[in-house]
Amino acid sequence: MPASEAVATQSKLGKQTEGKQKVIVVTLKKLLKNRLAVFGLFIIFIQILMAVFAPWITHYSPVTQSLVNSELPVGSENHWLGTDNYGRDMWSRIVFGARISLVVGLVSVILGLTGGIALGLISGYFRKLDGWIMRFVDLLFAFPGILLAMLIIAMLGTSLVNVMIAISIWSIPTCARIVRGSVLSVKKQEYIVAMKSLGAGNSRILIKHILPNCMAPIIVFATMRMATAILSTSALSFLGLGAQPPTPEWGAMIAAGQDYMWTSPHMTIVPGIAIMLVVFAFNVLGDGLRDALDPNMDLG
Amino acid sequence: MMNLQQPLLQINNVKKYYPIKGGILQRVQGHVKAVEDVTIDVYEGETLGIVGESGCGKSTFGRAVLRLEPLTEGSIVFKGQEIGTLSDRKLKAFKREMQMIFQDPYASLNPRQRVGDALEEAFIIHTSLSKKERKEKVLNLLDEVGLKAEHYDRYPHEFSGGQRQRIGIARAISLNPSFIVCDEAVSALDVSVQAQVIKLLKDLQEKHQLTYMFISHDLGVVRHISDRVLVMYLGNTAELAPADRIYDNPLHPYTKALLSAIPRPVPGRKRNRVKLEGDLPNPANPPKGCSFHTRCPLATVRCKEERPIWREVEENHFVACHEV
Repeated sequence: MPASEAVATQSKLGKQTEGKQKVIVVTLKKLLKNRLAVFGLFIIFIQILMAVFAPWITHYSPVTQSLVNSELPVGSENHWLGTDNYGRDMWSRIVFGARISLVVGLVSVILGLTGGIALGLISGYFRKLDGWIMRFVDLLFAFPGILLAMLIIAMLGTSLVNVMIAISIWSIPTCARIVRGSVLSVKKQEYIVAMKSLGAGNSRILIKHILPNCMAPIIVFATMRMATAILSTSALSFLGLGAQPPTPEWGAMIAAGQDYMWTSPHMTIVPGIAIMLVVFAFNVLGDGLRDALDPNMDLG
Repeated sequence: MMNLQQPLLQINNVKKYYPIKGGILQRVQGHVKAVEDVTIDVYEGETLGIVGESGCGKSTFGRAVLRLEPLTEGSIVFKGQEIGTLSDRKLKAFKREMQMIFQDPYASLNPRQRVGDALEEAFIIHTSLSKKERKEKVLNLLDEVGLKAEHYDRYPHEFSGGQRQRIGIARAISLNPSFIVCDEAVSALDVSVQAQVIKLLKDLQEKHQLTYMFISHDLGVVRHISDRVLVMYLGNTAELAPADRIYDNPLHPYTKALLSAIPRPVPGRKRNRVKLEGDLPNPANPPKGCSFHTRCPLATVRCKEERPIWREVEENHFVACHEV
């Protein structure tokens, strides 16, 4: 290396040692400094544990009824969160409900992201299609989200699978807009022109060069969207459009508990707290990620 | 070094207009005439310098020649074949032959891609080499531009500006092109690093018989590296001559003004500074006649009406001016 460049490198040495770490490590370090985000991560981690090991953490079935033990309050012997009106263990239902909300959230966000990213990439990159795709997205935006979901469910029928489809369709327009915006700024970058001058095809440029540079807003969106998806699943199930009894879905549990509000308030409060904690957790994690993935950060 | 017999690239009447859209319906309301009629031959093995002030269309011209942007009009003949009107698909074969080195070494490398992967791209796109063969090629490239094998796994932000520009150069020469457009290739670098990169470019030119189109606003650098120099003004060619002749005996009044703006290292020495009045006219609405007449000290009535023709006033010395 020529001498003067060596000097230039020397002055950057402090930055270099840091730069050798991967982006993920740098982002995580920043994220772990944010207490709220750490709290969010902790809750999500617990939810994942509950979802994965559900049959091992509770020895009661979430659906088998035991009318002798119905409406036991919180803190009862053998049922620390009590039981519902059919004598089903609340803790067991919460644990299995965690599995449902996590799966529904993940699947609908992944489906929605796939559609949204594809539309956003095409729309941002190919100017001729931009107008058409964006008008279609506007069309989806014109419906209030929960109404759109209800409309889709009305067409497809009530079931948890249809809720996932409805929520993923509802996620598409927002995601498409976010991705399109990033693509518009990234595609002007000189390294994209450089790839064109090398003769790279459009699909190669889009997937290998533009998409990885649009990931930060997508990750933040996906996290926040998990919260919305979980909340909407519960809302739709509460309205009787999603999970059907006896599925231990949190929203459906609240709906079932409504009639017992005065005699057994824990039947609505416990799943309510579960929903609140998880939605809160994903939201604060999303906020933390947004700060940690600051676009001004020296990404490598 | 220069072989005047054989044009590698014949550029004829190339125009590049950008539409200006406006109104609710996004109708075309006019055009920014970035490149207005450029005709020039580029000879094998030479370095053609292109100078002009910001916004004169020199970068757009470089990109248009590489067909990074579709031409509005004109033809480009490369090694005997017309490429000005080729479809993008057919153009791919020519991309191997024509490459570009970019101005900003920070912006021209994908920040998420390791240097090794970035340099491999060209081989993935154009060859069917195995992973191992590609890596070997990339290591050779790194060596050729003065970088080390250990740089293979690093990300662009771990390099200094000069090193990054070396990576950009490695990428440009990876497919053994014959023609390279250097768009302000050293403008973003420190002066000492500039000299090293220019030396590298010259060494590579000798080794690989490269032809350069060296676009810059730095007149000193252009004189140093170029065989011939083209002066552009508002999308038009103003003057073209061998480097020494244009610096010692500029004919076009714009060239004279440009050259008199070069700072002289001797303080106190008097010089005849030709100062230009006013700004560069709007390229969406260029002046009638000679595009330079609004700022030209020699302008006459004829200049306002009639566009000067591009003519050879002495051997290899072209000028577009009525008054020469």
